[in-house]
Amino acid sequence: MRFQKKGFGMRKLPRRDKLKIYGDLLFILYTESKKEKVVLTHVQLKTNVPFDRLKTYIVELKELGLVLDEPSLKLTDKGKQYLREYETVLDFMKRMGLTYG
Amino acid sequence: MANLALILMEVISAILCFVLLRFMIKPYRTTGEGRYLGLPLGFGFLGVSYIFMGFALYFESFLFVDDLKWLQLFTQTYAFAFLAATYYFSKKPAKNTRVWWDITYAGLVFAAVVSYLLVFEPPMFGLPSYKTVDEYFRIFNIVCLAYISIHTLRSHVSQPDPKTIWIPLSYLLLGFSQYSFLIWSIDSSFAAFVGAHILRIAGLLVFVFVVYQSFFGSRHAFPKEGIRDEEAPT
Repeated sequence: MRFQKKGFGMRKLPRRDKLKIYGDLLFILYTESKKEKVVLTHVQLKTNVPFDRLKTYIVELKELGLVLDEPSLKLTDKGKQYLREYETVLDFMKRMGLTYG
Repeated sequence: MANLALILMEVISAILCFVLLRFMIKPYRTTGEGRYLGLPLGFGFLGVSYIFMGFALYFESFLFVDDLKWLQLFTQTYAFAFLAATYYFSKKPAKNTRVWWDITYAGLVFAAVVSYLLVFEPPMFGLPSYKTVDEYFRIFNIVCLAYISIHTLRSHVSQPDPKTIWIPLSYLLLGFSQYSFLIWSIDSSFAAFVGAHILRIAGLLVFVFVVYQSFFGSRHAFPKEGIRDEEAPT
């Protein structure tokens, strides 16, 4: 069960499946890669996943050819294309009134 | 002439449904979750139902016209049932309800096959008149569309956004169209009949507008899409 601090109480976060985590992670990596260097701790805080699992996800994204680790973490063209399509479909689902994640 | 206009209405509706089907499958293809399969199935069935109606109107004097009308009735109702099931399961946690949506979709497909067989096989028991069944099915369609409209409106109210108001409107238009058909079926009002067709086309056009806005519309539609802002031509 994951919780996030909000004021004095704790807010329960909805459970995410792997696809949603990949989507969130790619988006955060994309925004972070605009900075000089991607700091994994910042990524971990924003994605809200344990550090060891974050590393596993990044390895999986590298294997899928969506992320590149040279010289710093950044999205490949395939990764950018995937993120664009993923966000378009999420936007469409939101417009359709469908809940996801 | 009037018949030709009606056939044209059915053809336009069917084309719009099949265009929408192409995009409605994307949530399922992207997420891989079976609960979104009802969306393409719903629009697919809806398109097929308009084709059946078009054929029934075109081959007016042929023997199998009644069968086509029965098929149209069932197909349209299954379409709305699939759409309602999709919205019902979309708000539930995916992990806990996987079995239930599989059972629901399988049950709907099974019911569809059984009802089609009932139409074409020699009846073992007497079916009620087409008009009576049509009225009951219209009421069921209105219930399904009312449920979806409320669901989408609640989703819009919980996170107000001008982009999300169109879909409740389109489902409401389809619902009012079914209501007008019901009125026409009860008192043969010509205005209700024409209104039903216009409302249906209007509802489907709103869907097309939403699809266009999502997939081909403004590149700045989604605020968090920094990726789009950067790549947009300047």
